[in-house]
Amino acid sequence: MSRAYFVTVLVVVAMCLAASAGTISGKVSGVSGESVVYVDVIQGKTFPAPAEHPVIDQKGLMFTPHITAVQVGTTVDFLNSDSVAHNVFWTSVGGNKKLTHNLGTWPKGEKRSFKFDNPGAVPLLCNVHPEMAGYIVVSPTPYFAVTDKSGAYKIENVPDGSYTVAAWHEGAKNQSKPVAVAGDTKADFTLSK
Amino acid sequence: MLRHRRMFAVLPSVFVMILLCGKSQAIPAFSRQYGTSCSTCHVDFPKLNDFGKAFKDAGFKFPKDDESFVKVPPVLLGAPANKELFPHSIWPGSIPGVPPIGLRYNQFFQVVSANRNNFNLQDTTGNPANQQFIPRTDFQSGLFSIFTAGNFGSDIAFWVDDDFSVGGANAAGGLGDGYLKFVNIGRLLKLPTDALSLRVGQFELDLPFSQARSWNLSGWDIYDQSNVGALGQNVNNAFALSNAAQGIEISGGHHYRGYQYSVAIVNQNTGGTPGAGNNVPPVVAYTSDSNFKDLYARFAYRVNLERDPASRNEIQAAGTTGPRDHTYLSLGTLYFYGRSVQRFQGPGGSSQVLTAREPFYRLGGDFSFNYHTFNLFGQFLYGRDQNLTPLQAPGSPAHFSGGFLEADYLVYPWMMTILRWDRVNSTADYLNGIGADQNNPPPTPFFSPVSTVRNRFTPGIQFLIHANIKTSIEYQVRPKQIVYSPTTGAPITDPFRTNSAVAGLEFVY
Repeated sequence: MSRAYFVTVLVVVAMCLAASAGTISGKVSGVSGESVVYVDVIQGKTFPAPAEHPVIDQKGLMFTPHITAVQVGTTVDFLNSDSVAHNVFWTSVGGNKKLTHNLGTWPKGEKRSFKFDNPGAVPLLCNVHPEMAGYIVVSPTPYFAVTDKSGAYKIENVPDGSYTVAAWHEGAKNQSKPVAVAGDTKADFTLSK
Repeated sequence: MLRHRRMFAVLPSVFVMILLCGKSQAIPAFSRQYGTSCSTCHVDFPKLNDFGKAFKDAGFKFPKDDESFVKVPPVLLGAPANKELFPHSIWPGSIPGVPPIGLRYNQFFQVVSANRNNFNLQDTTGNPANQQFIPRTDFQSGLFSIFTAGNFGSDIAFWVDDDFSVGGANAAGGLGDGYLKFVNIGRLLKLPTDALSLRVGQFELDLPFSQARSWNLSGWDIYDQSNVGALGQNVNNAFALSNAAQGIEISGGHHYRGYQYSVAIVNQNTGGTPGAGNNVPPVVAYTSDSNFKDLYARFAYRVNLERDPASRNEIQAAGTTGPRDHTYLSLGTLYFYGRSVQRFQGPGGSSQVLTAREPFYRLGGDFSFNYHTFNLFGQFLYGRDQNLTPLQAPGSPAHFSGGFLEADYLVYPWMMTILRWDRVNSTADYLNGIGADQNNPPPTPFFSPVSTVRNRFTPGIQFLIHANIKTSIEYQVRPKQIVYSPTTGAPITDPFRTNSAVAGLEFVY
């Protein structure tokens, strides 16, 4: 009896949780190429940093992928797959120039890691190959997505509630808007440069 | 009269020099091909960084994994498998996927000091042709040149540059360098990698510091120094190290580390006039007028002083804030041997043409020290022309010496400061410049150094507006000169310097 009761409660709780975890989807227009959409700071909530280390490669004189989105607290591994010397540095994080940092230089096949504890966009540069550009968008929450090239995106497992959702695109003005998430929710953005 | 002809020949005229200045070249074609900025290979174009030197040594390719960097794949002129069929097939090669063409234009503005017309004012012939006027300020167009370079596969590199502007500095014949380089042919002989390469065509000699691709507005004086004797010396040698040479060159090693050598056999052209003959119509025009071929040899060794053991053997050092050139000291030497062909009318106005072949040589030493973005380098050169057949006894060799010292400091990636000291010591130049013949006035401007030693100090600064647009400013403190009376030969002015400021603007695309 007690076991049946326990299973029933568990199913009900799971169903409730499933019902309250929605998605935010939509399209970023007005710009071409990939953008990043994320749920901005949720007051009073913190999230554990993910254990995985995304890898940004330097290959063929390019940062690959060009745009990476991570959650605050994530450690990113920077790999050099080129047979030429590179360095990785950024001049700011989220526009804050005090957070400039230079990872230095390392040879082919090796990595250097950095933990991003501050939210915002991080423009990645190499000072020998100034044409190289990459971006990390550090999201304050685990709810973020990189759009496809058409601008479409989908953020899953967002608890129902009211949030501020922001869209970022390279070289464009950021845009944010309040979004009430209840199940599958649409939120489109139109950005301009 | 002879003296003045010689004087004219020796004139590395300060004003003509300005017109000839700014021969720099960078290669936008490579930017397109590899999708990368000029700064990948250049400190301040066209000055190469260590990676650029390695790129050039490799035959205009990335030294390692070239194919992984090429953004525009080459067009194959035969599948690689055709190698298996050789000699029953043409050895497969390739051409760049986009035409590897770059264009370059430059222009200048200069301001010359108030004493610039001191010589002209002394002319007493009344001939307007001798009363040329040097303006205080002047805008000048430079050159519009095309250059193309790349690799045909199988480690065969090519380079051609040509100025095709009608009024440009090279309007009389604009081919700069044009050659094929067979890179690393030593592999066929199982020699160490890059121990032997072959270059064929027209090229600048493997000078320690390229005059043809100098980043300075004005060239280094010593590389332009010819040797024209004085007072009966049977020497009228128009050869200068900066002259384009035609011939073949073998070379090996690397410009960015360790040893580097080159040996070239090139046309003799000390008279400055090409050979010609109606009875032998040339398939192509003759360039030299002598059977003798000149010899050029160079050897250099670069000692790596980099402290970081992890990157000592890499092309560039792993700086804490990014890759940079190694700290190094490079020492080198050069030697040129030729025979200066001197032809002149026989004694007493006879119809006989006398030909003398005067051996001459140039011997030089050079160094380059680099620490991060500071580069100090210099060249010493000694030149000697024998005078085995003196017109007037006693004949003595004509010789000169000199060199330059230059410090470049890259303050920012877009701003480089330069300080130069050029020095030429030539007794013959001094003697040729003294006095004037009223009946045979020398060309304008006069060239009359106040002593056998000519010093020029040239501070400069260069700014990259973009990676392919540069503005350069030089202030040239020129050697002291003096004006002699055309009638008495006595000095009639105090020594003075005709200094000038030159600004250049150039772009490549």
